[in-house]
Amino acid sequence: MSGEGSAAVAWNHRHLIDVDVLTWPEIELILRTTDEMKGVLARPIRKVPALNGRRVTTLFYEASTRTRVSFETAARNLSADVVSVAPATSSVTKGESLVDTIRTLEALGAEILVMRHSVSGAPYLAAEIFGGHVLNGGDGWHAHPTQALLDLYTMREHLPGGDLRGRKVAIVGDILHSRVARSNIWSLTAAGADLWLCGPATLLRGFDRWAAAWSGGAIPGHGRFTVTSDVDAALRNADVVMALRIQRERMQGGLLPSLREYAARFGLSAERVALAKPEAIVMHPGPMNEGVEIAPDVAVSGRAVITEQVANGVAVRMALLYLLAGSHEAAHAGEAIR
Amino acid sequence: MSPKPAARSAGSAGGAGRKTAAGPKVGQTVGRFEVEKAWLVDPVLGREGPGEVVVTDGILESVVWLKGSKAAGVDDKGVVVAPGFFDLHAHFREPGFEDAETIASGSAAAAHGGYTSVALMPNTSPALDEPGVMERIRSAARAGRSPVEILAFGAVSAGRTGEQLSAMGELADAGVLGFSDDGAPVRTPKLLRSALLYAGMFGLPVVDHAEDLELSAGAEAHEGYVASILGLAGWPVAGEVNAVSRDLAVLEDALRDGPRARLHLTHVSTAAALDLVRRAKAAGLPVTCDVTPHHLALADEWIAGARRWSWEALGADGTSRDPWADGVLVATPYNTALRVNPPLRTPVDAAACLAALLDGTADAVATDHAPHTVVDKEVEFGRASNGISGIETALGVLLAMVDAGRLPLARAIAALTAGPAGVLARWPGVAATPAARPRGLTEGAPADLVVFDRADRWRVTPEALHSKGKNSPLIGRELSGRVLLTIASGRLAYEDPEPASTEG
Repeated sequence: MSGEGSAAVAWNHRHLIDVDVLTWPEIELILRTTDEMKGVLARPIRKVPALNGRRVTTLFYEASTRTRVSFETAARNLSADVVSVAPATSSVTKGESLVDTIRTLEALGAEILVMRHSVSGAPYLAAEIFGGHVLNGGDGWHAHPTQALLDLYTMREHLPGGDLRGRKVAIVGDILHSRVARSNIWSLTAAGADLWLCGPATLLRGFDRWAAAWSGGAIPGHGRFTVTSDVDAALRNADVVMALRIQRERMQGGLLPSLREYAARFGLSAERVALAKPEAIVMHPGPMNEGVEIAPDVAVSGRAVITEQVANGVAVRMALLYLLAGSHEAAHAGEAIR
Repeated sequence: MSPKPAARSAGSAGGAGRKTAAGPKVGQTVGRFEVEKAWLVDPVLGREGPGEVVVTDGILESVVWLKGSKAAGVDDKGVVVAPGFFDLHAHFREPGFEDAETIASGSAAAAHGGYTSVALMPNTSPALDEPGVMERIRSAARAGRSPVEILAFGAVSAGRTGEQLSAMGELADAGVLGFSDDGAPVRTPKLLRSALLYAGMFGLPVVDHAEDLELSAGAEAHEGYVASILGLAGWPVAGEVNAVSRDLAVLEDALRDGPRARLHLTHVSTAAALDLVRRAKAAGLPVTCDVTPHHLALADEWIAGARRWSWEALGADGTSRDPWADGVLVATPYNTALRVNPPLRTPVDAAACLAALLDGTADAVATDHAPHTVVDKEVEFGRASNGISGIETALGVLLAMVDAGRLPLARAIAALTAGPAGVLARWPGVAATPAARPRGLTEGAPADLVVFDRADRWRVTPEALHSKGKNSPLIGRELSGRVLLTIASGRLAYEDPEPASTEG
C-alpha cells in the first residue's frame, strides 16, 4: 500500500503492458518521474535530450487522436525520433499479421513500440516477438496502463497530501467493456483508495464476483473495491468521480434500452455530482459523449479536471518512455512476458 | 523426475520392444514381440495385474497373468500393457486443410499417443456429407503406412450448414460411426430431431457439440473471474447447459417415434451440463458423453499464466483457488494454444469432469485433437483458431491424474478403450460396427495394444510431436508414461526410437 517511504527503486520492467505487475514503490517511481517531466513541460522550451536518437514507433490499430498524439508529443519532448504507423494506410489492410508487422517495424529500427489494439492481450504477443520495449496504449477491454497512471497522478495532485488512502473514487459507466476501469482497479486498489465501480447491471457483469474475490484482502498489495448499480450510493461523499464513455453499439447488443435512459439514470448531472464532496473532482478519460455519461455543464465546471488529465497524460507518457528506454532488461528467448 | 532404468528393465518390455526395431517398420506385421513382467490392464475383463504378453505374427498369442513369486517386483508404476486406445473425436483436417494435419501425420501422432483407432470429425473441406469424401479419407489412410484404424463420423447436415440432412443413409452404408456437425452444434432443434430419428434407423448416434451460439457469440474464454480480469468476452456456462437441455428434450421427443434414436454429447465441459447428463442417464435416456483431457486437467487460469493442474487449483472447500492471490502466474498470458471451444472452464468444472468420469456419467475420454497451423495460432488471442493438438498428450495428462491419486489407472485406461467402444456398442438391435469391438487383451485376436512406461517421463516439445499441429499448451512440460510401442491390428504403429540407455 501507499506511503511506506520512498526508498530508491530500480526500474526493471522491459515492457509495460498493464499496471498489474507494478509494486507500489514502482508506481511511486513513475509518479516521481512524472513530476520531473511536468517540470520540463513548465519550461519555455519543452524539450530535453533524454531520448535523443532513440526510435519510438506508435502502432495504433484503433482510432485514437488523444492517446496517439499524447504519446508522440511525449516522445518528441524527449527528443526521440517518432514513427507513426497507421494501419489503415499500411500493409495491415493487405492482411499482414500483427507478428509480421512487428518484425517489419523492428527491422526498420523501432526500439520502443507503443501500440493500441482492439483485441485483449495483443501486446503480450507483440512483446514475445519484439526485441525492444512494448508500451501498451490500450488493448481490447483489458488494460490501459498509461491512462490509469495519469488518472492516479491527477487525483494525487488534487488530494491533500497527495494520498489516496481511504479516499472514495467512483467510476461510473460501461465497466464491462472498459480497459480504463480494469487498469484503474489495479492501480487504485494498490493506492489504497475506496474504489466504487458503478453502472447498469448489464455493463457490470462479472465484476461482482471479481469484487467478492478481492474482498478479503486476498491479493497481496491490493485492497478491496465495491460494485454497485446504485449511482447515488457510489457518488455519495466521493472525493473523485469519473465517468466512462458509453458507446452506441451497446444498445444494438441489447445491453441498454437507450442512451436517453442511460443519461437519466447514470449520467453525471450537476445534481448527482452534488452528492459527492464539495471539493470532489470530476474526471473523464475521453472522448466524451456530452449529454450521455456526463452533462455538458459538469464537463466544463470548475470541478472538472478533464483537460488536466490530458496535460498530465503527456508527462506520464514521457516518464514511462524514459524509464523503459533506460531499462536494460535483456530479452531472453522463451521467458514469460508479464 | 528422472526416468528409472529399473522400470525399463522391470518388464524387459523396453528390451523386447527394442529388438523389434531391427525387425518390422511402421505398417509391417509384428513377427515376434514379448513383454515379460509388466502391468497388464484389461478393461473388458475388468482386470489388472502383473503379467506377460506374447505377440506372434501379429496375433496376440498369449496373455499370462502372473501370480506369487513370478509377480514379485511388478507394480503399476512401471511398464504397462493395455489395449490400443480409441479416440472418439479427432480432426485430421484431410481433405481440405492438409497444412494443419493429414491422415498420415495424424495417424503417426495417434500411434505416438498410444491410439490404434481414431474417429474423425466431418468438418473437412469438403465436409464428410456424402460417401465420396469417406472414400477419399479411406484411400488416404490406405496410402499411408500406418495401421491406425481410421474411422469417421458423417455430417448431420449437407455442407454442415445446418439446413438439410446430409446423405445419411449412404454415409451409413459407407461405414460412418454416426453423425455430427462438430465444430458447431446441430443448428436447430428441428433438424436435430430429424437427425436422431433418421440416424436411429441405422442404430447410429448423433454426436452433438453442445453450444448455444447466441450465448457464446464473440466469446474468447469461459465467462468468469479470469475472463473478467483479462478483459475477454465470456462463453457462459448457460451456453452449454441450454444446448444440452435442448438436446435432451429433443432426444426424449424423438424416442417416442424412433426408439433407436441415440445421442452422444462430446466434450462436455461444465459441472451443470454434466449434471443434466447424469440425470438423463438415471432416467434411462439413451445418451452418452465424453470429456476431454484438457477440460479435465487444465483450467481457465492457464490463460492468465497459471500452469498448475486443475486439481492443484482446487481449494480445500472444493472451490477454485485464485491464481492472483496464490501468486502462481508464471507464463505469458493469452497463450493461443489455450484457445479452445468449449473453453477451458474453472477448476471446479474440471473436477466435475473427473467426477463424471469416475461415476460413469462420462463414458469416455476423447481428445478433440484439433491441430492448427502457426499462421492460425500466432495471432491475437481473440483471433486465434479454436483447438488443442492433444492426441499425443492425452495419456500423459490422464497419468498425471493417476499419479496425483485422483483417477485409478484402470479407469483411465477404460476411458480410452472400452469406454469409447461402448458408446458405439451400447444399443443392441443393429449389427455393431467393428469399431465397437470390446477392446480388451484378447488372446488369438490381432494384437492391438500399447506399451508405455509410467516411470519414463518425456518432454512435450514441437519436435517431439508427430502431429503437424504444435498448438499444445503443454509444450515445455514433462509428462509421464512414455509410449514405447503401439501395435494396431497386428502391425507396428509406433515404436519409441530412443534407446533406453540414453534415458538414465
